Amino acid sequence: MMCRKTAAALCLALWPLAAAAAGGDDLDLVAKAVDVQILPGYETLAAASAELDAAAAEDCDPEGETLRDAYNSAFDAWIGVSHLRFGPSETDNRAFALAFWPDDRGASRKTLAGLIREEDPVVNDAESFGNVSIAARGFFALEMMLYDGSLSEGDPGYSCRLVRAITRDIATTAAAIEADWDPAYAELILHPGPENPIYLSDLEALQELYKALMTGLEFTADSRLGRPLGTFEKPRPKRAEAWRSGRSLRDVQISIAATSALAEILASDVPEETRAPLDVAVERAGRLAGRLDDPIFTGVETPTGRLRIEVLQQAVNDVRDASQAVIGPALGVSQGFNSLDGD
Amino acid sequence: MKRTLLASVALGVAGVGPAAAADRTEVLETYVNIAEAAYGDSLVTAQRLGAAVDALLANPSAEALQAARTAWLQARVPYMQTEVFRFGNPIVDDWEGKVNAWPLDEGLIDYVDAAYGGPTDENEYATVNVIAHPSFTLSGEEVDASRITPELLANTLHEADDIEANVATGYHAIEFLLWGQDLNGTGPGAGNRPWTDYAAGDACTHGNCDRRGEYLKAATDLLIADLGDMAGAWAEGGAARASVLSDETTGVATILTGMGSLSYGELAGERMRLGLMLNDPEEEQDCFSDNTYNSHFYDGLGMWNIYHGQYVRVDGTLISGASVSDLVAEADGEVDVGLRADLDATVMALLRIKTTAEAGMSYDQMLDRNNAAGGALLMGAVDALVTQTKSIERAVSALELDTIQFEGSESLDNPDAVFQ
Repeated sequence: MMCRKTAAALCLALWPLAAAAAGGDDLDLVAKAVDVQILPGYETLAAASAELDAAAAEDCDPEGETLRDAYNSAFDAWIGVSHLRFGPSETDNRAFALAFWPDDRGASRKTLAGLIREEDPVVNDAESFGNVSIAARGFFALEMMLYDGSLSEGDPGYSCRLVRAITRDIATTAAAIEADWDPAYAELILHPGPENPIYLSDLEALQELYKALMTGLEFTADSRLGRPLGTFEKPRPKRAEAWRSGRSLRDVQISIAATSALAEILASDVPEETRAPLDVAVERAGRLAGRLDDPIFTGVETPTGRLRIEVLQQAVNDVRDASQAVIGPALGVSQGFNSLDGD
Repeated sequence: MKRTLLASVALGVAGVGPAAAADRTEVLETYVNIAEAAYGDSLVTAQRLGAAVDALLANPSAEALQAARTAWLQARVPYMQTEVFRFGNPIVDDWEGKVNAWPLDEGLIDYVDAAYGGPTDENEYATVNVIAHPSFTLSGEEVDASRITPELLANTLHEADDIEANVATGYHAIEFLLWGQDLNGTGPGAGNRPWTDYAAGDACTHGNCDRRGEYLKAATDLLIADLGDMAGAWAEGGAARASVLSDETTGVATILTGMGSLSYGELAGERMRLGLMLNDPEEEQDCFSDNTYNSHFYDGLGMWNIYHGQYVRVDGTLISGASVSDLVAEADGEVDVGLRADLDATVMALLRIKTTAEAGMSYDQMLDRNNAAGGALLMGAVDALVTQTKSIERAVSALELDTIQFEGSESLDNPDAVFQ
């Protein structure tokens, strides 16, 4: 087991007290985020996940090209919405079931190996499979099945059924998130008010998006980039996200693009002059991520490679700082509490 | 606002009546007084644990081991009520890992079951077993562990190799030494270390009983010393107390930060929901003793205490005073009513877990994927904590503290850290 010691600290950044409070048009920003990013994002995830399920049904060979392509497309779609951790993605722990990572204690390998060893019949029933540990569900479990040779020793027939159970579960979960968003949850977040069970005011709806933005950037900087970096004395390349399938950098690129797009939406009413630092930071982070040639961050072990990744991490943190400086005061929202608080 | 103002003026004229306008300084006074009392209680109960450990080591017996376990369980009661002070107070947060780090690779400390496995990709020291090895190599250096001292635990073993799972000190290291591994999975039963693990001569089981005793003694002494430091930090003249009292606005924000971060990211997320989603019996905080239900309950009670400005000491004395609730009620009555209702609901949901556990279904049994009722109990508390967090955010807004940014990132707070 491993202890998650704390790094949380209270940082006090007092905003100018003259900061504008939310105006009447701010709901347009929510509408824009819903229409441009959230609904299309989840629609893409649902469609790509259905194709993944179909590909596995067709041929469950872990090395099959069609299956692996479908896996990558669906994983791409997931990363594009992975910062939107509220509402339908949190119902029934759906987001966790799609993507359990980081996995500090190797729970995915352990749980999958246990299912395979016992040939647990839970794979034969889609509904029951929805109750197994999240360590054996979602994209990271599938990655382990497709790319990690150590799990291939059991009965190939069982492994095939397990792969299909995982893809079916991914498709079901993705479809459920999309169905909840369109139209019910979209209606909720677009119509805040005293009668709304979740968003009592426009500000609370905006805060939800702002919080998603800030948490998403924090996760990319601290986890997707910070975990493999480890320390100078002890870099940890195997702590990179989805390194087995060679996706670590790709995930960072997609998440930077998605959070940057959300930042630009939330800042769209801010005068150009005021938002310039955000535009600069977004452009820089995208550019640095785009030209980094280190797909699974093995560079963390060399001084030069490490520096490049640290510079990218700093660029993501710059986007976060700029978002806090530009968007927070413009909307009159604060980040509030997020799931990364605590250890 | 206007009404309050008029009321204050009226009181000023009359010069009598209850203090209507809650004073932020008084609220902070209550808060630091509760902290002083709760850490003081944690120290006193840890000293009792120390006495029980001394008795066990002097005359090992089943009864003496049981008495030490009871003392450990009692020590957790006040300590867990202090967890609400952790987030928001950097002095506490920086210190906390010494006393309450979790989860741990317990094979670092003592013998473990074969199913535990060997060193892992993450931690090559997961099975050092310092109790059985008077010397071993750590990060290329030979470590002399011929005597197990508090210094060895704190300075060499704890977080060895920068691995957080290398927990050598604090409540959970002691818990492991008193209970041993819980090998029952999601079935009933806690750790079952025999008292003879501390017996002398031929009666000693699992070897190295003297060194095991030395470890237990060192870890307990260290816990007492660390708690003494923290109790001092909240007493008159202490740094933590001074820090909270230095600024009314950030002081009140600190209180709500502690509540919000503990509610959401820590308790609801890290400690409860994750374990449930993984169905992993090791994902429970007090996993050796099966005391997790109490740890969670007292976390919840600690948050209730702080908001209401009340705390019952281990000697039964009630500490109370002006509260954040008074401040919020004055700013926005509805928000206060909502948050109080949410805190009650959380305590109730955690109490349901506690009563069920005390009636025989332990926390790890609730994590079984086929235990729908147990899972629902845990989710009930997670949901209550999440709901409560929203109300805490509303309280932050009502008190106009939301110009203060809550942050928890080392790289942001200290950008140079990433280049070190």
